[in-house]
Amino acid sequence: MLEFLHDDLAILSVKEGCGEGECGACTVMLDNKPVNSCLILAVEADGTSIRTVEGEVKDGKLSPLQESFKKNHATQCGFCTPGMIMSAQSLLERNPKPNEEEIKEAIEGNFCRCTGYRQIIDAIFEVTKNAK
Amino acid sequence: MLNHFTYFKPQTESELLEKVKSYGDDTKILAGGTDLLIYMKQGITAPKVLIDVKGISEYSKIVTASDGSISIGASVTCNEVIENECINKHFPVLVEAAKTLGSYQLRNRATVIGNICNASPAADMAGPLLVLGALVIIGNDSGGREILLKDFFIGFKKNILKVDEFVKAIKVPAYFRDAKSGYLKSSRIKGHDLGICNVAMCRVNGTLKVAVGSCAVTPVLLPDFESDRAGTKFVIEAAMNNINPISDIRSSKEYRKHMVKVFIKRLLEKGNSH
Ligand code: FES
Ligand code: FES
Repeated sequence: MLEFLHDDLAILSVKEGCGEGECGACTVMLDNKPVNSCLILAVEADGTSIRTVEGEVKDGKLSPLQESFKKNHATQCGFCTPGMIMSAQSLLERNPKPNEEEIKEAIEGNFCRCTGYRQIIDAIFEVTKNAK
Repeated sequence: MLNHFTYFKPQTESELLEKVKSYGDDTKILAGGTDLLIYMKQGITAPKVLIDVKGISEYSKIVTASDGSISIGASVTCNEVIENECINKHFPVLVEAAKTLGSYQLRNRATVIGNICNASPAADMAGPLLVLGALVIIGNDSGGREILLKDFFIGFKKNILKVDEFVKAIKVPAYFRDAKSGYLKSSRIKGHDLGICNVAMCRVNGTLKVAVGSCAVTPVLLPDFESDRAGTKFVIEAAMNNINPISDIRSSKEYRKHMVKVFIKRLLEKGNSH
């Protein structure tokens, strides 16, 4: 599925880091649940809906989470960012007011080799402040 | 790169049976795929036929029977176990263990049955299911069979299934409902890595059951203890007699043994304070 999305459909946000379910760079939402697309066959996704970070931009506007990533410098090289956003977005949809521990748990399957995670956690946390 | 294979997604159990029967040896059952696809990518296995069981609706359910037993279907994911109310309330050790398996997105695909079928000595769900006296419900052409999970593991990553058999569900008997239980695991990092060792424990009607993972070629269920005789020393001694850990990239065998002792002690203390 990762190959299909990236190579055939040119949805370039979906990245291969490890190809073995470790790094989370390939994370997409399948029927609104984050999954590792590198461990799913494209054919298994038949009849499902897939959300990637491309779909988070609405009418040319970044989502609140994306804005917060920008503001908090939660992106450096950007390789982990699409997957990270999908994991974090899914958390916020399940639980609009997560605490720090819950944030860490939700992104434990997404490796970031640049930021040291602090900015990412801050970025996610900032969005929760505006949540009802 | 993956090898070429034919993919089937049966919608009923009888269709599944028929496929398994006609393709036999070259077949792999696909549920979550979180282990199988890695093995295929690494060339460890190259099945000619993949049979996806996610199309069979009964297999996606967690069912509580009227007697209070639960059965977990072949395509139930770890996160579905974690979110299940009945399991949280009455069989919480399964939730505890499932939470330690991989990452959130991995648990959205990884299945309990897949974890068991791969028969890894480190399988997170194995220990808790062993101490809860779980039964494996096997499907085959002659009406199926049920065996105790402890008889299911027969060697390193080997289970007892014949080529034309598959696991439909795993059942935890009502007898173990609300049993006091616990699971402890040590690993180099949280998630993303196989454990160094793990211990699961449960007390039920005067019996103490203990299982140890990553310390032998299969997960190991120790012989039952009569609870009133089971002092820490006694249980540790029995564990040491029944496991045979190796040293590998994750840990030395001495460290594994040490941590098993520590976990037994902690779990016993936790159990006694209840
Ligand atoms: S590429 Fe899928 S988890 Fe690393
Ligand atoms: S920003 Fe570079 S890996 Fe996360």
